[in-house]
Amino acid sequence: MLRALREIEGGVKLSLNAAGRLGTLRKPPILESFLRQVYFTGVTASTGVVLRASLLGVLIIAITMDVLDADVDMAVKILLLVVFREVGPLAAAVVIILRSGTAMSAEMAMMRISGQTRALRYLGINLYDYLVVPRVAGVMVATLALTFYIQFLAVAGGLLLSPFIIEATFMELASRLFDLFTPVDFYYSIIKSLLFGFAVSACCCYHGLNPPDLTQNAVPKVVTRAVTQCAMLVLTINAVFAYIVFGILFFGLVKATV
Amino acid sequence: MNQPAQATAPEAKAAPQMALRYARHGEKREIALAVPVGSVRRIELPDTESKSAFVTAVLKARCEANEELELFGQPVRDLSGGARQRLRTRVGALSPIVGLINNLNAWENISLPAAYHGKPSLAEVATITQEVLDVFGIEPRGFLVRVPDELGKLERKIAAFARLMVAGPELAIVESLNDGLSRAECARVAGFEQEYRRRHPAGTLLFVDIREE
Repeated sequence: MLRALREIEGGVKLSLNAAGRLGTLRKPPILESFLRQVYFTGVTASTGVVLRASLLGVLIIAITMDVLDADVDMAVKILLLVVFREVGPLAAAVVIILRSGTAMSAEMAMMRISGQTRALRYLGINLYDYLVVPRVAGVMVATLALTFYIQFLAVAGGLLLSPFIIEATFMELASRLFDLFTPVDFYYSIIKSLLFGFAVSACCCYHGLNPPDLTQNAVPKVVTRAVTQCAMLVLTINAVFAYIVFGILFFGLVKATV
Repeated sequence: MNQPAQATAPEAKAAPQMALRYARHGEKREIALAVPVGSVRRIELPDTESKSAFVTAVLKARCEANEELELFGQPVRDLSGGARQRLRTRVGALSPIVGLINNLNAWENISLPAAYHGKPSLAEVATITQEVLDVFGIEPRGFLVRVPDELGKLERKIAAFARLMVAGPELAIVESLNDGLSRAECARVAGFEQEYRRRHPAGTLLFVDIREE
């Protein structure tokens, strides 16, 4: 219990520190580290999701129309709801956790264990500036980009490939999609994916910089803890965010267009 | 029996300004040393723990309860955060404690502190690096793109030395310089002293080792 509270306190401190030091991204080595993070997290991750994301849209439309006996209108609504609001940001977060979260926490734990973080401090380099800020900012940008990429592929894949398995044309599906699309879906997924990216990177940085001990054995423990807590954080944020934005019974903030 | 780890510099009539004064009180051994500004000294400490405690205290400009430390005439015990930070910038080390960063190549390692602090400029860093590598007969193109794991022990020390020369500290500590090097390599790194002296005629250079008993 005490450890959990300490982790929450440490995580919050790290997040606030990182958020408050975003201005240091102007420094050349930090900017370079940020761009490197965006490349490794966003660009290299994007190649593996093309086929899966395209098939996701087809599956949603096909299953909705076949199993639920829905019409084109309902199928496109569900495609929008599921892909834009939920699956897009969630799928991006899962890819980021599995690909970059593990690498980031292991790399930082190794740096801490081998005394490289200490070396950076002796060189007068702030660890938040050099290690945390570029990773947090880079993962946020990469998560956002990956979310858009998955959403685009899933929707485009759904619209292009579905006519082969259901009785609806591409034009029918596309026109319904543009009728039903609201800016809320767009803003919702932007804010959510940025929050996911922030939570995942801050959690991985926190665990990487705070291994349970300074031996090689600590690295797998750090990675396991980081991945588990990242997954829990993402699911919690997803639930809380959906409740706040679409919990119309309690908040009346936005009228859900279902 | 208590014994000093190293004889201090002979007291001059007009006491020279000290770059460093250090004392460590222990149950078995007392360590006391003083290094005048502008000198080159070689000190031998009794064991790894003493050596590590000494280098850490100087680099952090902070001492433990059983230690006393003065840097450039300033006792570090009650320094404010800002004053301590300023003192730290005047001290540098070639030491395993300040090793190279594994995921950066040699050039990035050498230029990182300068790029972060904004001085000296990267053009100056490149010039200094080129000159240091020339002195030690290393071809920069192949050397600078390699990460530390791809470098030999001598090359790693040269990269760390180049980084130290870029920082240009007033007090440079070189810890266990010959560790892990062959005799021929030891002869090459002996050139560090001359190179440091050439670049910083008024600087203080301190070689720290363990006394072999």
